[in-house]
Amino acid sequence: MPFPSRSAVRTRSARVVVVMIVCAVAWLCCSPSASAHVVPTSSILLEVGDGAVEATVGIPLSDLESATGIDLDDESQATIDAHAAQIQQYLLDHFVPTSDDGQTWTVDDGSLTVSTVGNAQTTGLYPQLETVFTLTPPPGSDRESFNLGYDAVVDKVATHTVIVTASSESDGSISAVGTVRRSTVTNTVQPLHVDLASDGGSSGFTGLFSLGVEHIQEGTDHQLFLLTLLLPAPLVAAARRWGPAVSARRSMRRIATITLSFTLGHSVTLALGALGVPVPQQLVESLIAVSILVAALHAVRPIFPGREALVAASFGLVHGLAFSEALRELDLTGAQLVVALLGFNFGIEAMQLVIVALVLPPLILLARAERYQTLRIVAAVATAVAAVGWLGARVGIANPVADVADRIGILGLPVIAALWAVALILVLHDRRRSPAPTSAGTHVVFSQATGGRSPE
Amino acid sequence: MNTTDLLLTGRPLTRRTLFAGVSGLGLLVAGCSSGSSGSTSTSATTTASTATADGEAAAGSVAALAQAFYQTLDADQQSTVLLDYTLASAKRWSNLPQGLISGGAGGGMPGGGTMPSGDAMPSGGTMPSGGTMPSGASGEEGAPSGMPSGGAGGGGGSSQARVGIALSALSDDQLAAFTTLLKAATGTTAGLGYDEIEQQLAADDYLADNGGGDTYGRGNFYVAILGSPQDSGTWEFQFGGHHMAVANTYVDGKLVGATPAFRGVEPFTKFELDGESYQPLKAKHTRFVALLASLSSSELASAKLADTYSDLVLGPGNDWAFPTEYEGVKISTLSAKQKKLALAAIAGYVEDLADSDAKTILAGYEDDLDDTYIAWSGTQALTAKDDYIRIDGPSVWIEFSMQNGIVLSGNHPHSVWRDRTTDYGGTKS
Repeated sequence: MPFPSRSAVRTRSARVVVVMIVCAVAWLCCSPSASAHVVPTSSILLEVGDGAVEATVGIPLSDLESATGIDLDDESQATIDAHAAQIQQYLLDHFVPTSDDGQTWTVDDGSLTVSTVGNAQTTGLYPQLETVFTLTPPPGSDRESFNLGYDAVVDKVATHTVIVTASSESDGSISAVGTVRRSTVTNTVQPLHVDLASDGGSSGFTGLFSLGVEHIQEGTDHQLFLLTLLLPAPLVAAARRWGPAVSARRSMRRIATITLSFTLGHSVTLALGALGVPVPQQLVESLIAVSILVAALHAVRPIFPGREALVAASFGLVHGLAFSEALRELDLTGAQLVVALLGFNFGIEAMQLVIVALVLPPLILLARAERYQTLRIVAAVATAVAAVGWLGARVGIANPVADVADRIGILGLPVIAALWAVALILVLHDRRRSPAPTSAGTHVVFSQATGGRSPE
Repeated sequence: MNTTDLLLTGRPLTRRTLFAGVSGLGLLVAGCSSGSSGSTSTSATTTASTATADGEAAAGSVAALAQAFYQTLDADQQSTVLLDYTLASAKRWSNLPQGLISGGAGGGMPGGGTMPSGDAMPSGGTMPSGGTMPSGASGEEGAPSGMPSGGAGGGGGSSQARVGIALSALSDDQLAAFTTLLKAATGTTAGLGYDEIEQQLAADDYLADNGGGDTYGRGNFYVAILGSPQDSGTWEFQFGGHHMAVANTYVDGKLVGATPAFRGVEPFTKFELDGESYQPLKAKHTRFVALLASLSSSELASAKLADTYSDLVLGPGNDWAFPTEYEGVKISTLSAKQKKLALAAIAGYVEDLADSDAKTILAGYEDDLDDTYIAWSGTQALTAKDDYIRIDGPSVWIEFSMQNGIVLSGNHPHSVWRDRTTDYGGTKS
């Protein structure tokens, strides 16, 4: 291959740098930051078991040597075995977990093994000692909340860091607990308190409930689909046009029906997907974009008036497949799966209801206003554009529209606040124009709507 | 190396530069588990900055040369290079190559990407449960309460990639303008200042050629201008990459801080590249060794630290977290000759700066010399792993730490110069 000319390299590399910067930025946006160490660190992985906590400890041999003063020069298993008693005693002296009330836990040690770990690019490869301790709390003490009481190596190697993680009881996912290291200011080891209950990884009902909530909170596309479908719900469809507002009670009923149908749809496929029915992810993601597009078009001109519930249910099937992805990663079975499904589904539902509850009242109020048509069209068109952008991105055509759409989520609250504000202003305005009915209530009473008008 | 005309341009950027972005792309895909395309417009590199590069600046000053460099860039490059002056941007330096910062190719698990059980961490450090790895560099996340911010031990790097533009993105003319700027900001002492930086860039090219791959090499060094380079107001000239951080902060046309300054190198011993031989950091190392060699055995004993130091205490990310206690032997107790050697060791860092600036700063450190301490750990040769020396005074803070080889097999040093009052030009927030 001919070597590229300097200038060709330059232009191309300029482009590459732009790509690099873009990548770096994108990387920062979508991954939690994790700082790479150059110097090997110790690690402790905590796993809650029956009545005890297992702590898998990894220590770089060279640091262990510095800390204990034991010569481990050839770094072999035989050398470690020869000094096992000494090393274990050192570790036990430096591993004293205590309950929150100050009671000391029992620590049992395991055998010591040597392996090569590390990363050729950051730390280099290095030998590490590995051993498993069993930490048993005194009777009646909480085994998920305690002081770690670990300062092996850190007591002697001032610049050492121990990274503590915990493995979730249910799904095996690893989450950070914290670090044991010295404060550079005081040069003293900072104690670490462990709270395993709050690691969010519990696969119980509550853990998955919050996972479900999170899913909708962050699932801008799911939110947008539902909201767009609700947009024309308060209106009468006639002659292929959206007409005047229906009564508040009727639109509430419609909105409830649509939301419920969507739920039914996604519940079915969520269960199927979680049970292991194969899910073509790209297809599902693309179909979700299509569903949003269809809902947006329908909001502009009625495509399926009166059949919104059916459409919501069928597209719910698609959205459910996407939801199931999150559960499949957990690899649950049997009763655990049932509980998880319920929890996750309730979480999704709760968050949907919150969104609907936030958006529905102003929508019903606004439906009576002359400007609703404008709002509806603008919102629908914007949604359609976002949907097309997503569709592009999901079939593999990267585009800036999708990038922007991905961040609509952060607009949620301001938009909702604006909706409320506009709705309330309109209501007050209306009431001033047409004297309110005699029942001098302090609130707007939905069923006594001041006559809406068809924008036609 | 005695050439005066450097050679940022002297070594053609090779094909590996072309692939520099590819690994980034792979990471991007790995990092974005949501399947949505990553957003690309929420970084300091694209936020519109209010800084300008056309203010009043004395002819020949660093500010004027920064403006001249800026003028050689196209509009996109200009917006990448010129950012507002903020501590957040100033803090974005590291000892790591750009490609390894922030869950880069090294994976997210500090300590080498493996769990004790041998299971690899999910790439990019994304935790299935949504947690993040505790950053070894800052006390702000995952740190026990009561930890002063940044009070980490053994931090490895700030967790955000550098701002600014990579040298690989510059044309020959732009590189020439940058070189003029860098020369003006740095000193002319052989083996220090500009000469040393040039040697460090060669060392990184050497790593790239000898197993490091495209993560390494001079193309991966970044320059940024934080704030408006001019004779009034505050701005910083920031340049850095693997094992290097240059941070000159100017206020009203005067240098008010030249730290945090990071200098490290791999390989540490003499190496050859394109027929030239190099040994960056030799000048600094020689001065430290001479200083330790001048101490009597009792002085050595009182200077010796009780603990082992496998890394710098105040590496990247550990900002404004200086120890409250001094350790080691107080220089006031030493002879005039030893004091001279101590000052020479300090000058090994201060003389990285433009000569007139270096004089001013060194005079200040000389005034403080009697209240400054020397501490060390490991062996006096400062060549073995965990060898360490520190010079800590009312203002000056210098550390030098020997560590394992990463790309190559020999040990290599990290060192940092900070200042208890003028770090980041005194900017604390």
